[in-house]
Amino acid sequence: LGSCRVPISMAEIRAGFNTIKANIQARDPIKTLSILSYPHSLHKLKSSDRCCITHHLFNFYVDKVFKHCKTEDSYVNRKISSIANSFLSVRRSLQQCHEQNKCLCGQESTEKLRQILVNYQGLNVTSAAIKSLGELDILLDWMEKS
Amino acid sequence: SGELYCSLPNPRNVHFESVNMKNVLHWLPPEGTGDGVLYRVKYSVYGVGKWIRKPECRNINRTWCDLSTETSDYEEQYYASVKAFLNGKCSDWIETARFNPLTDTKIDPPVVRVSSTERSISIILTTPEKWKRSPEEESISLLQVYPGLQYNVSVLNKKTKKRWFFSISNNTLVVPWLEPGTAYCVSAQIHVTTPLLRSQFSKEYCISTLKDK
Repeated sequence: LGSCRVPISMAEIRAGFNTIKANIQARDPIKTLSILSYPHSLHKLKSSDRCCITHHLFNFYVDKVFKHCKTEDSYVNRKISSIANSFLSVRRSLQQCHEQNKCLCGQESTEKLRQILVNYQGLNVTSAAIKSLGELDILLDWMEKS
Repeated sequence: SGELYCSLPNPRNVHFESVNMKNVLHWLPPEGTGDGVLYRVKYSVYGVGKWIRKPECRNINRTWCDLSTETSDYEEQYYASVKAFLNGKCSDWIETARFNPLTDTKIDPPVVRVSSTERSISIILTTPEKWKRSPEEESISLLQVYPGLQYNVSVLNKKTKKRWFFSISNNTLVVPWLEPGTAYCVSAQIHVTTPLLRSQFSKEYCISTLKDK
């Protein structure tokens, strides 16, 4: 992520998400709205802003998504908390980068992050959290794109 | 108003089958309907508000529809939906799960080319290309799509039945210190760690090392 070196267990996060992806996405009936991709895809952002976007999106998922994704399925809940733990450790590393000014936000990414929050607040908390969790592969795909 | 009465059983198992991002929608006929059922297909980009009809798959009697062109942007995710019609009746629209071409496609094995000297085998692997609309369109190797793509290579000594496995990132491999005048068979597989994707192993390509002079 630019000058910010963060160990991220992508394969582990992916594997965890893959096991619950169909279950979570099936709980999201709203196909006409995306929280991460509206109005523009993450892929449209400048690569120089990758660290900032990743830092703020990890905060978003830890603070606003995982905790609101309780389901009636204990297996799904366990997978969600496993993903959340992975995010927590990455967030700590990203926070250090942020504090060392290696993770600065440009105007474009600041606007994108604002839009994501607007999209999130446009739904009730549970729906917004489930939809965001169902879009985790959108974030992972973007992070892995070189 | 000529509105059809939708009491026909629904198409079943509506899903994408994707190989090298050639994305084809498949389904099973409604239960117990026999011949004569026609289908219509529509698709939508996740997060975008509208369903789009697929004209080439309007009133078709086959149970598949190629949506590769419509789903070729692998930075997007998609839904598709099918409706059945028979004798003036229709079914509901039945949708797929959300389809992510990047993670939900299958990858073909690499093409393997081998050559030999007296005591070594040289292996060159070629990754399949992403599906493209026409031969004139620019080719995109799946290597460009999946930067972390690797190869697992198996080399079998046909005489001793001894087998070696190699995991390599670049597409060439030289296996040294082999026995002259011996047949070796090579097979290779593509492996992407994240997203986790793994091709089948290719068929075996056999070659003999040259005899000692």
